[in-house]
Amino acid sequence: MSTSVVGKRIPKVDSRDKVLGTAEYAGDIRMKGMLYGKVVRCMEYSHARVKSIDFKEAMKIPGVIKCLGPKDVTKKGYNTTIMKLLVPEEFCEVFGEIAEMFIFNQHVKYQGDAVCGVIAETEEIAERAADKIKIKYEPLPVYMRASESRKKGAFQFTSLKPGNLAGEFDEAVFPDNAYGWPDADTGKMGDDLESECDVVVEGNFYVPKQKQCQMENHAYVALYDNRGKLHCWTSTQMPKPVQVLLAELFELPMSRMRVFQTVVGGGFGVRLGMIAEPHACAMAMAVPGRPVKVEFLREEDWIASETRFPGNYDMKMGFKEDGTPIFVEANFCADKGGYYTHGNGPVFCAAAFVHGMYKWKTMRQKGQSYFTNNVPSGAYRGYGNPQTSFVQEQLVEEACGKLGIDSIEWRKKWHKSIGDETWLKGVTYASDDLDGCIDLAVKDIKWYEKKKKYAKQKGKKRRGLGIAVMNHTSGAWPMLLEHTVCTAKLNEDCTVELMASISDLGTGGHTAMTQMAADTLGWPMEDIHLNSGDSDVCGFDIGAHASRTVYCAGPAIIEACESVKKQLMERAAQILEARVEDLQMDSKKVISVKGNSKKSVDARLISKQGVYNFFDPVSGKQIGIPGQIQGYSSFLANHCSPPMGACISEVEVDTETGEVKVLELVNAHDIGKAIHPPSVEGQLEGGAQQGLGFVTTEDIYYDENGLCLNSDFTDYKMPGPSDMPKAKIILVETAPDPIAPMGAKSCGESALMGPIGSVANAIADAIGIRFYEAPVTPERILKGIKESGKTFE
Amino acid sequence: MNKHPITLTINNQEYSITVAGHHTLLQVMRDQLDLTEVKYGCGRGECGACTVLVDDDNEKSGRKAIDACLALAATMDGKKLTTARGLGENGDLNAVQQAFVDESGIQCGFCTPGMVVKSTDLLEKNPKATEEEIRFGLEGNICRCTGYVKIVDSVKKAQKVMTKNKKKK
Repeated sequence: MSTSVVGKRIPKVDSRDKVLGTAEYAGDIRMKGMLYGKVVRCMEYSHARVKSIDFKEAMKIPGVIKCLGPKDVTKKGYNTTIMKLLVPEEFCEVFGEIAEMFIFNQHVKYQGDAVCGVIAETEEIAERAADKIKIKYEPLPVYMRASESRKKGAFQFTSLKPGNLAGEFDEAVFPDNAYGWPDADTGKMGDDLESECDVVVEGNFYVPKQKQCQMENHAYVALYDNRGKLHCWTSTQMPKPVQVLLAELFELPMSRMRVFQTVVGGGFGVRLGMIAEPHACAMAMAVPGRPVKVEFLREEDWIASETRFPGNYDMKMGFKEDGTPIFVEANFCADKGGYYTHGNGPVFCAAAFVHGMYKWKTMRQKGQSYFTNNVPSGAYRGYGNPQTSFVQEQLVEEACGKLGIDSIEWRKKWHKSIGDETWLKGVTYASDDLDGCIDLAVKDIKWYEKKKKYAKQKGKKRRGLGIAVMNHTSGAWPMLLEHTVCTAKLNEDCTVELMASISDLGTGGHTAMTQMAADTLGWPMEDIHLNSGDSDVCGFDIGAHASRTVYCAGPAIIEACESVKKQLMERAAQILEARVEDLQMDSKKVISVKGNSKKSVDARLISKQGVYNFFDPVSGKQIGIPGQIQGYSSFLANHCSPPMGACISEVEVDTETGEVKVLELVNAHDIGKAIHPPSVEGQLEGGAQQGLGFVTTEDIYYDENGLCLNSDFTDYKMPGPSDMPKAKIILVETAPDPIAPMGAKSCGESALMGPIGSVANAIADAIGIRFYEAPVTPERILKGIKESGKTFE
Repeated sequence: MNKHPITLTINNQEYSITVAGHHTLLQVMRDQLDLTEVKYGCGRGECGACTVLVDDDNEKSGRKAIDACLALAATMDGKKLTTARGLGENGDLNAVQQAFVDESGIQCGFCTPGMVVKSTDLLEKNPKATEEEIRFGLEGNICRCTGYVKIVDSVKKAQKVMTKNKKKK
């Protein structure tokens, strides 16, 4: 009987813990003698210099332990992200990474910037004391958009980045600061080929500053123990890199810096790298021997942790009249926010995913990020790709309309496939069934029937259909390091403890890893436990980013388990005096000679005798083979097997109110192989909510002074249960990837792109007006209708 | 600071404590009683992560769901409360929780304790709730992971199980 669990709809390993509420998040930690830290943030200005800080009144409050200002903590600058750990040093210099952020800043660069801190006996006292700290500021000029801060004569955010240009595609790697490829025949690039085209479409788009809105606020507990070791319990997505960054910041050897990742209440990119770990640790170092907890308020989480990259995204495309795609020319100029953090990363990736989609003769895309006085733009699920979906998929649709070509057929004909270059030059697709995805989505939603029907529609409410396709990545190789270490310890009772730093942000990663281990060993899942999150125990792992866990960490789990199995078989071969290749192990862990089941040994005996290795008191002979078995893998990915997908949405636009109702959404995803189907579906379903938010409702708004106007769940509207359409996810498993572990490509980030592009296209289809600014709010729709002069009766 | 002695019965356990007049039920449950299954998500009744059941004779089901962050603890004297940890009998799962496990209606899990409490309340009040009513009923409980698809599936599954169990009785 097979015990195979891969591909099965089993409950997740952590579901009972979570449904009872016993899963412990960082904010749930209680420790003996625990103190509470509050980061004091500048709420009155988005750009200012700190003139003075007066702790006097705050220190008078009973229960206040210490107040800390810029002088009381390390003066070292840092960057919250981990780019420098993921690329060779020379590359990091080329990209121009800087470390201009301080634990407490005297130059406030956005509303919410950390200025000082207070430690107290209770959270409430810390909060009251924070209110009593008197800080005097000198206001500085405020720039909320790149178009303002890039102007000549604008105030310079840092001397390290002249012109406030945080990053662009560096000349050393990208000639002419552009990403793409020249036309093979003429050597010309981008719109240099415009004169050859019969149809050219272009648009100047705005993409929003979307917030991740993970449900758990950022929380930390830090302890500087009396043996000189600094501990930090954190809700980060990247425990191991955070360990390295903290050790560096506080000048400690890694052996004296422990990071423990707690259960994480959602991430979506916001917890990529560090957020307030430096603050919690600095406070802990000020009170050795006592743990200090720092837990964000929701508003604080909102205004002081990163968002998606917003900005102006311009694109132009040219085609022959038969539909042959000639060129794409684009530029994404992003509002960086106050600090460098991710530099130009998502802006590059926006271009990369244009690169991976269609067979243009030539592509040229540029991109820049300019400092602005918003909270830094950073990593958010999709990392540039959602922005590209909104822009690229709308222009493709518009072009097909002008060409009089069926846009479904055009996409099927011209998307990249096996052997073509992916998002990264030189890396080619090894598998693809995008056509299968498109066909299934078209059929499921009844595309052609509905299109025909809606062509004749009348009335104030109009329906429309839209499609979008996408490509993404599974891990970020070869751009970034993709490395995971796993140790598999075989317990004396022949069960396995996996030690690997696998971040499960709710994605089902721990379940998938355990399933992969179970199938590798051929044992029940109950016999395998994943021990994750403690940097003292686990080897290296980059953390959860770039949809990598199954693809990049899965193989480490598999290899470590294969090693355990191999060692067991070798010992069995010795005991049975047989050759390893002649042996088999069943699900009850009995190892026998193939074709002679009587010649067998129980693996449980091998594991037991390996640990309890005694000498026979009579014969004096050793019983069993000594040594506890451990499997090990230090796995480095060597591909990124990009998944593709197709999404179709149907919307109804109320032309009187501007309201958009998404009625139905079908997302077909080229997963290759779903390790845990409910988790894959869950990623795609949840991603749809975030995608619909991007395209219909979500953006952060600021007043003229750069102060946030919507830092809560009421004023920042995410689609709720009643807003969500009938969503159907189709997992396409017809093209298992030959390189991927068990054929499984990624799904985590892929979920957003299709809903964004398809809803944008569906709105345009419904009312015949295309919108270039996201989110497409009722205000924008009504304005668009008014400007178009159209009437709907 | 005003101090108020109160008695709360939470998950059948009685707590006689003194609370500050301005402390919310959420603060007291988390910070004084270590009932950390009641989550702090927003502190202002927007997200539902702190949803708990409070006994109420005016309700047909005998209890109702509230946001613990919107109730002052001092006003809750003598109340009987239920959190996610106390929904089932003897620390086990109730039908709603079991359905969330079976249908993978859980991702990061942070909204889950509030979500299962609210879903229990919803089905106790309206055992025949339509999908539309379920969706509307969960509007006050925000989830950012699931798109609500498997959450609604879970509630519908629980509804079936509860109906079946009722018939058996």
